[in-house]
Amino acid sequence: MLAYKLTTEDFEHDEVIRKRLLIDGDGAGDDRRINLLVKSFIKWCSSGSQEEGYSQYQRMLSTLSQCEFSMGKTLLVYDMNLREMENYEKIYKEIECSIAGAHEKIAECKKQILQAKRIRKNRQEYDALAKVIQHHPDRHETLKELEALGKELEHLSHIKESVEDKLELRRKQFHVLLSTIHELQQTLENDEKLSEVEEAQETSLETDPKP
Amino acid sequence: MERAVPHAVPLGQMEVFQALQRLHMTVFSQSVSPCGKFLAAGNNYGQIVIFSLSAALSSEAKEESKKPVVTFQAHDGPVYSMVSTDRQLVSAGDGEVKAWLWAEILKKGSKELWRRQPPYRTSLEVPEINALLLVPKENSLILAGGDCQLHTMDLETGAFTRALRGHTDYIHCLALRERSPEVLSGGEDGAVRLWDLRTAKEVQTIEVYKHEECSRPHNGRWIGCLATDSDWMVCGGGPALTLWHLRSSTPTTIFPMRAPQKHVTFYQDLILSAGQGPCVNQWQLSGELKAQVPSSSPGLLSLSLNQQPAAPECKVLTAAGNSCRVDVFTNLGYRAFSLSF
Repeated sequence: MLAYKLTTEDFEHDEVIRKRLLIDGDGAGDDRRINLLVKSFIKWCSSGSQEEGYSQYQRMLSTLSQCEFSMGKTLLVYDMNLREMENYEKIYKEIECSIAGAHEKIAECKKQILQAKRIRKNRQEYDALAKVIQHHPDRHETLKELEALGKELEHLSHIKESVEDKLELRRKQFHVLLSTIHELQQTLENDEKLSEVEEAQETSLETDPKP
Repeated sequence: MERAVPHAVPLGQMEVFQALQRLHMTVFSQSVSPCGKFLAAGNNYGQIVIFSLSAALSSEAKEESKKPVVTFQAHDGPVYSMVSTDRQLVSAGDGEVKAWLWAEILKKGSKELWRRQPPYRTSLEVPEINALLLVPKENSLILAGGDCQLHTMDLETGAFTRALRGHTDYIHCLALRERSPEVLSGGEDGAVRLWDLRTAKEVQTIEVYKHEECSRPHNGRWIGCLATDSDWMVCGGGPALTLWHLRSSTPTTIFPMRAPQKHVTFYQDLILSAGQGPCVNQWQLSGELKAQVPSSSPGLLSLSLNQQPAAPECKVLTAAGNSCRVDVFTNLGYRAFSLSF
């Protein structure tokens, strides 16, 4: 593996850096740790003294446990991501449902608005007519006025009738008076004429007899 | 009256000519297709253009979607009025009424289905037809215009069945009262007349200019626009825009608008009106001005509400008038964009 690294590093430097950047921060350290572990293992195999070997062995065990620890962490993170995805899926579905519910509510509200507009229109029509009606006077008052006027009319016509009757009576009385006066005049004239004629006859009788 | 582009004209002049044409254009009438996705508009040069509302309203609309998809020369004179049945587009202008199949128009065919001329009293005069009205119960069309009469035409046979006489001056606008099949007509003589279609007689006359509250003698007595909602009627023009209760023939609310209104309609609990002046006005029935939304034309002549059930996504208000643009209002509060000839 070491030989592989030596040959590829020169040509694929950018690739490696990009891959390392893509993996989490811990991952870069892990790669190096595994390389160091391999190197120290080889060194340990070829080391001489017992104590050094033992300490190197301990160091290797600790690096190994460190690697296992970071692997466990990444597995947990992976698990967490999966569960997070599920959670998001659930929330997404809930939001979709509530959107559909909101759409329905909007349709309901629109219907209610239409109904309310119809009611408002009816009220306004009523108000408009009511305004016009208010201009005209109250029916009871007009009826009362009509009654009063009717009564006055009756009263006045009674008075007129009685006055006319009186007038008739007076006229008749005057007529009678005038006709009696006229008759009297006639009789007086007649009497005068008669007395004149008698006088004339008397004077002619007096002058006439002359034999 | 100008025709379409003349032949053999150098390019610069043609562009100038087209620009002049657009400058002096007036859009008189609009009509929505039965599927609700297209809007037809007729102008003073006799052209009818079709706009695709679904394309213009979609999320990937570009500048070209706001231009007409089909243009054709329909009449020699201005197209004053248009109306759509469930398969045809009926347009009327100077004396003639023509019909076109919507399916044909959308395939860019411009052959008319039929053309008729109502029986005029003298053959010399060719009065313009200002208003068209569809009576779906009888399947007939009512025309009214310069000869002061209302003509009824049966759509199946094409025969002219009645001529209702009573107006003393030309008629501007018509409205249908659905419950009792009555037609209201308003005209230059200042009177709104109600005609019963079954007896072909005038049942009610409202002389708007005689009522002090709404008459404005300095504007004249002409009735420019009518709309009715069974028991109520709103009319305007020379006299102020007023709401009338038809049964009692009393004016109930007067809308305080100085400018004469040329188009009015009932919508939900509002009354929408437009006329001289660039705004579409929204009124409550109580007389309050709820909103005044400016449009792009200096004066408006026609409003159209697309309430076709087949296309609820194209439910818009379109307004057109003294310009080559048709404004589209997706929400009554503001102008969304303009379609342009």
